[in-house]
Order: sequence, then structure tokens, then C-alpha cells
Amino acid sequence: MNKTKKKWAVSSAAIMIALSLAACGNGGDKKKSSANDSGRAKLTEVYKNPDKASKSANAKSTLKVAEPNDSPFKGVTEPTLADNQEDSNVFSPGGNGNLFNVNKNYKIVDGGLADQKLDRKKNTVTITIRDNAKWSDGHPVVARDVEYPYEIIASPKSTSSQYSADFERIEGMADFHKGKTNTISGFTYPDGENGKKVVIQLNTLSPSMKFAGNSFIWGTVAPYHHYKGIAIDKLAASDQVRKNPLFVGPYKLDKLVAGESTSWSPNKYYWGKTPKVKHITINVVSSNSIDKAIQTKKYDFTTPGGVMRGTSYKNLKGLKDYKMVGIPALSYNYFGFNVGKYDTETQKNVMDPKAKMGNKKLRQAMMYAVDEDALNKKFGNGVKWRAKTLIPPVFDKYADKSAKGFPHNEKKANQLLDDAGYKKKGKWRVQPNGKPLVIHFGAMQGSATSHATYQDYLQRWQKVGLNVKMATGKEMEMNSFYDTLQKPKQNQIDIFAAAWGVSSEPTPTQLYGEDAPFNMGHFVSKKNTELINSLNNKKAWDDSYRTQQFKKWQEYMNDQAAYVATDNSFDWNPVNKRVKGFDLSPANNDFWANLSLTSSKIQ
Amino acid sequence: MWKTILRRVLIMIPEIILLSILVFLLAKAMPGDPFTGSINPRSSAAQIEHLKQINGLYDPWYQQYWNWVVHLFHGDLGQSYQYHEAVSNLIGDRAVNTLWLSAFTMVLTYMLALPLGLYAGKHEGRLPDTVIRIYTYVTYCIPFFVILVIGLWIFGYVFNWFPTTGSVSPTAHGMGVLSSRLEHILLPGLLGALFGTVNIVQYMRSEVIDAKHSDYVRTARSKGVPNKDIYKHHIFRNSLLPIAAFGGYSITGLLNGSIFTETIFSYPGMGMLFIDSINYRDYTVITALVLMFGILNLLGTLLSDIILGIVDPRIRID
Repeated sequence: MNKTKKKWAVSSAAIMIALSLAACGNGGDKKKSSANDSGRAKLTEVYKNPDKASKSANAKSTLKVAEPNDSPFKGVTEPTLADNQEDSNVFSPGGNGNLFNVNKNYKIVDGGLADQKLDRKKNTVTITIRDNAKWSDGHPVVARDVEYPYEIIASPKSTSSQYSADFERIEGMADFHKGKTNTISGFTYPDGENGKKVVIQLNTLSPSMKFAGNSFIWGTVAPYHHYKGIAIDKLAASDQVRKNPLFVGPYKLDKLVAGESTSWSPNKYYWGKTPKVKHITINVVSSNSIDKAIQTKKYDFTTPGGVMRGTSYKNLKGLKDYKMVGIPALSYNYFGFNVGKYDTETQKNVMDPKAKMGNKKLRQAMMYAVDEDALNKKFGNGVKWRAKTLIPPVFDKYADKSAKGFPHNEKKANQLLDDAGYKKKGKWRVQPNGKPLVIHFGAMQGSATSHATYQDYLQRWQKVGLNVKMATGKEMEMNSFYDTLQKPKQNQIDIFAAAWGVSSEPTPTQLYGEDAPFNMGHFVSKKNTELINSLNNKKAWDDSYRTQQFKKWQEYMNDQAAYVATDNSFDWNPVNKRVKGFDLSPANNDFWANLSLTSSKIQ
Repeated sequence: MWKTILRRVLIMIPEIILLSILVFLLAKAMPGDPFTGSINPRSSAAQIEHLKQINGLYDPWYQQYWNWVVHLFHGDLGQSYQYHEAVSNLIGDRAVNTLWLSAFTMVLTYMLALPLGLYAGKHEGRLPDTVIRIYTYVTYCIPFFVILVIGLWIFGYVFNWFPTTGSVSPTAHGMGVLSSRLEHILLPGLLGALFGTVNIVQYMRSEVIDAKHSDYVRTARSKGVPNKDIYKHHIFRNSLLPIAAFGGYSITGLLNGSIFTETIFSYPGMGMLFIDSINYRDYTVITALVLMFGILNLLGTLLSDIILGIVDPRIRID
């Protein structure tokens, strides 16, 4: 299972899923999620199967896994080049090149393929690969394999979309990216390229580097000996990546049927625990038929990270012989308000004090007007609930459990609008200056559920006297939606509904920072910048300070209501009762090797 | 005839050029680009610009078009933005899957529809004709995706007779791959054939009825030719003319794929590739596919005309 999920702008398909899927628990409680929100399922992240594993079942039977998806997977095994979750899912028994082990808070811990040591005095990160680490062809994992992913990402010819300015904290990275140098000077190998140690020189370290999924230290290895000689712009299309890939995880790829299935057997060179199950297959199954496939016992479970809809949960939750296992998702849906523009010259977002949605009380009123609790009760199917802050509850430590978010309060919404001077003139409220107020709501086409949800929003806003209409008159096609929002300046959409998948390191700089291009509502304030910066300043090496600053930031963002998370969800899986050792916890670093079977047939 | 074929092929050239320009411009006119909405938020604005620039998305359209044409003449259809592999490889993989399924479905459809049409025409107005007509109308009325879902549910999941996903089993090796492929196309192929006969049956039936009352059949009867031979040598052959005209399109249409079948059976083929490429603005794939479909359609028309010319001396082209 890929521990270091990255942040993604969520596509229309994903938002459909996110809307129908849902959300997560009260902050990653290992045992059971809170049942405070009415109707929320009580899912555990571990399936404690009391039955004994069967040696013959492990040896002779095939563990059948379904990847619920309506499209074929892309087939890019190299994590630096893959830009979708399904590739990561279908190749996960191979380990996805993961370098580090993490604990339940995604903090990097010793004991993985490599260990990491931060030296704050010298501003270096030392990565030491374990002695017995080997690729699935028997070749040892060496220092160069740790450095090569950075070359793939940062090469001027790279097709990877992973490069960010944060990498430029590494000495020589900017020059390499511009094509001025052929090597990244910040990487040194005390024992040579074929040694086991890499030292990365940075201009400054960040507390976020302690966590997997941070934006400075890349978390996977690449087999340099296997890729050597292939131009980086041709790498994604090469046979080495697509047909004969190498892995460092517990399993090696036996067979790949392009776009539809992968087949695995134990990797005899794996450094860790010997995998118990001798054969695994992963098949793409249409989301239209995944419920039926599970009900007729064709699969043992669905891929962790694979998208299971809320409606599927409704259909499968009572299924005999299957246990529903879930963990709060690394994602959330949110509302954003258009309050400014992106200055292409300075490459910074700029707030417009005269923006239509510039009034904080107007934004707060709109959030109090909607009723996420009712919507989730109706459509959440127990796996989605109202979000309280912009940090998903999977981050147990950082998510502010005391935050109340915006529970439905029509009276308060009216009061806020009255106080702010948005008086009623006829049917609708007008702006404080007396001019008419028409608000355009932008949302992407999705499922029938998302359509009903958007209609409910409109009705709730209209009920408090706000004349809110769908931007462009209807829900927008995904490309049109993001094309509009990503324009440096636009006035077609005043408020929008979208979704983010987030990294396992939750610093929000890339989403809500002053110079973040994905800060599509362009909210900027001195305090927001200060708070975001404080999450990774020198004081933030102290965990309690960092936690406190995260909470302050959430409180501030809820007060400003320029971006408001609407709901969180569970990532959940149906697991057949013959499977033993199924554990979704981030701390279960050996997910696939820990699995075993208790009987030869799916029960 | 060769002259005609050559003339038609030459006329196709400006048609294809015009088509390619239109396809290219229309693809570019769609909102968004391959990086819209799916970019990693870690990427800096500069990196997004960089990716667009190295992919030539900021070049004027005529320059982009020209680059594309130059590459095309070198046999390079470009790289898919979504799949990160050569478009030709991508289409090649999917085309094989689609060909298997389409050809199988087409053969089954003709095998089923031709005898049914002949039988219905022969027994015009009687019970067999009524039953066959009701069958074709019913199958025509039910949306195909409904049939696929129900068929998959009953025969795939409830009875467990057929594989339910993919084009080949991940565990198949050697000769097993071939049988696994056949096994995987059996259910969608059968459903496609059983529920796709209406056009051929109706054409065949009405042609048979027409032929039955024609002078040459009356003459043959008066000469004492046995009924069986009349149907075999006179009616059936002549009734095949409109079907033959369909033939060209059917053959070139084999590569079109079916979005419904492919999605419901998770069968990676051309239909799904086309829809996904549009959704994700995978320009290189869109342009290659539309151009390919366009060329195949033009060839289909030509092929149909040639077939008609061969089988029907009255309209022989020269």
C-alpha cells in the first residue's frame, strides 16, 4: 500500500466518488470511529480474523483483489511518473518503491527499506539503505537509486508533473532543473554511488521532513541500473517501466494484462517478512458491477486506496462473510469563494477588497445556510459526514477536534447577512451599497446525488434571500470548471464546490498559500501566510507547537470562511472472512506480506 | 474499375487533409487541456507552464498542426498525455481487443440474422414471421446497456458461466491465453449478436419478400426449379445485395468499439479509449482516433461501393 499519497486536484470522476463516497472518522482512532455524527458507520481499520491461517490455502489458492474503476489503469509502474491512484493500487504488492516506514501519524520511523536522519546544524538529510535491500532481479538497492527519482522529476525534459519549487531547497536542484548542470550537486555518496548512504544538502530543513509525503524529500527509489540509458522523456513509455518493471516490495510482477489486471508471486529478494500468500491477482472491475462481484464472492477484497462508493457501502454492509473495514480518507470536499486574482507577474495571489464575495459575514452566512448534516444523513450512507475543518480527521494529531465548523443555522445566517448590510429588497437581498446581488455557484457534473446536493445548496441559499444561480446555468464539465477557476482572474464563478486529495503530510501551503496556483479562490492575508509559515518554522520542530499552530490555522480559516471543508469520508473495503491480517493502519508498513488465507476458497 | 478506385482514393486525400484540420481545431477548441484539473498541487506554476511549453501547447495552432503532420508522416502519432506511452502502441493494444470482440460479434450476428431474415421472408405473414419480427422489435427497443448489465448479472455473476471482467485471465499462459480470450468475449459477443440483429433481419426479410414476387423467380418456378434451389440460388443471393452494401461499413466499423460493452465488462477497447481521451483532453489520442475513424469511414464507403459493383453487374462501376 502506498503510504505517501500525494495531493491531487480531484477530477470530475473523483469528485463524483468523493461526493458519493465519503468521509472519515473523528481523527484516526485506531479502534473505532466516533459515532457522534448520526448514522456514521462504526468501521475499524483492522479486520481481526480469529481463524487460523491455512498453509495449503496460502500455497495453492489465489488471493483475488478487485480494483474498482471505470477506466483501464495506465500501466506506469514508476511512482515519479505515475499521476493517478489506480496505477499505484494495481502495483502496490510490489511496494511502490517506498523508502520509509511510518507510524500511525505518517511520521517516518526506522525499520523500512531505508532510514532517514535529519541534521539541522548541517542542513542535511542522510538516507541509509538497509544492507539486504534488493530489487526483484536480485540487484542491490544502492545510493544512486535514491537520487535517480529526483533526476526523473526535475529533468528539463521530464514528463513528470511532480516537480515543485520546494525541491529547490536541495542544493543544485534549480540549476539541474534549468538544464544548467547534468547532476544535482546537493547529493553526495559517502560510500560511492553503489554504496548504501546518500547525503542530501539543503539550504534549510523543514519540520515537515519528518513526515512521509512531504514536498521536499521524495519517498521512493528508482532502479537506476534498470533505467540507465533510457532518455528521461521516454522512460514512461519504456518496457522497463511498463512491461518488465522491478520492485522492492514483497511481491514481484508475474503478468500484466494492459489496463485490466496484474498477477503477483513472492519476491524472493524481498528484505522484509516473507509473504505468506503465494499468488495474488488484481483485476479492474467496473464500479457498476463491483457490488455484484463482491456479493457473488469473486474477490477477497477491494484495493486499499481504490474508490468504493457510498451506495456500495449501503449494498454491502450487511453482507454475510464480508467485514467492512475503513479508515478516514486523505481527502475532503470543500467550498471556495472567489475573492481575488492571481498576479502572473509576481506569481502571487492577490485579494480584491471590493470582490463580490469579499465580505467575511456573507461567506459565513452562506456556510451556515447549507445543511451538510442533513445531506449526509440522506446521501452519506454512513461513510460520509460533515467536515469541521480543512484538516481531515485522519490527521488525529493536527485536526482540531473542538472545531464546530458550520452546522446548519438559518437564523444565524440571516443575522449575519442583516448585520453586514445585505438587506432584503423584494425577494432577494442586495449588496450593502444597494446594488443587486447575484451569486454564481460553480460545480462539476457528477452523479444524481451530487446534482441533488447542489440543488439543495441553491434552495438553502435562496431561503436566506440570496440570489444564487448555477454559473453557466448548469453544472460544468470538469475541464470547463477547472479551466475557468485556473484563469488568473475570472468572474464567472463566485463560489465553487470541489475536492482535494491530500498528502500524508498536511501542510497546506500548496493549496492555500499566497503563491499557490491551486489557491483558486485567491484568498490571501498576512495572518494566513504567517500561520502557514509557522507550521514549518524553527519552533515547529517542537511537535506540540506545530500541533498548536495547525489548530490556530484551522480556527482562522473557519473564521475567514474563504475555504470551508464540507465533508469527510471513509476509505473503506469489503474483506472476505478467509482473509487474515488485513490492516489499513498507516503503521502497517508491510500490508501485503502480512496477509494470509484461512481457506482455499472465498467463503 | 481500377480507375474508379484510384480516382476515389485520390479524392480521399483532400478529404482527409480537411478532416485532419477540422479534428485538430475542434480538439483544441475544447475547454481545458491535458493538464487541467489533474495536476499535482505540489507543482509550481512554473512547472505547469513548463510542461505545457515542452508539449507545444502554447504554439500557434498551425504550428502545432504542422508539427503533428510532420510526425504523422514519420509514423509517430505522438505520446498520450494520460497514458504516457506512444499513441500508436496504445491504439494497437486496444484495437486488438476491439477487433476480437467486434469480429466475433459480427460473425455471430450475421450467422443469426441472415437465416432469420430469410426464414421470416419465406414465411411472410405467418407465425414464424410474426415471432421473428416481434423478436427483432423487442431486442431493438431494449437499451443495449440494460441488456449488458442484466446479462452480466445473470450469466456472469448468478450462474457464474462466463468471466465478468477484462479480456483475458491474468493467470492464463501459452495456448491458455487464446482460450481465455475466447471465453472473455463469449458473453458480450453473444449478447451483442442476440440483440443486434434487427437491421440485417429486416433488410433480409424485405429483400426476400421483394425477390419472391419478382419476374425471375416466377420464371424459375414456371420452369419447375425446386423451391429449395430457387431460394438458394435466386432469392438468397439477390437479397444479399443491401447486406453486401453494409459489409464495407461493417468491416471498417469493427474498430469503433462499444463504450457500453467495454465499460460494463471492464474490457479495454477503442470505445473507452476514445471517451476517456475526450474527458481528459488527451489531444494526441483524440486526433489520432478521429482521423483513423474518419479514414476508415471513407474506406468503408469505397469498400461498400466496390462490393456492390462486384456482386451486382447492373451497377458495376467503371
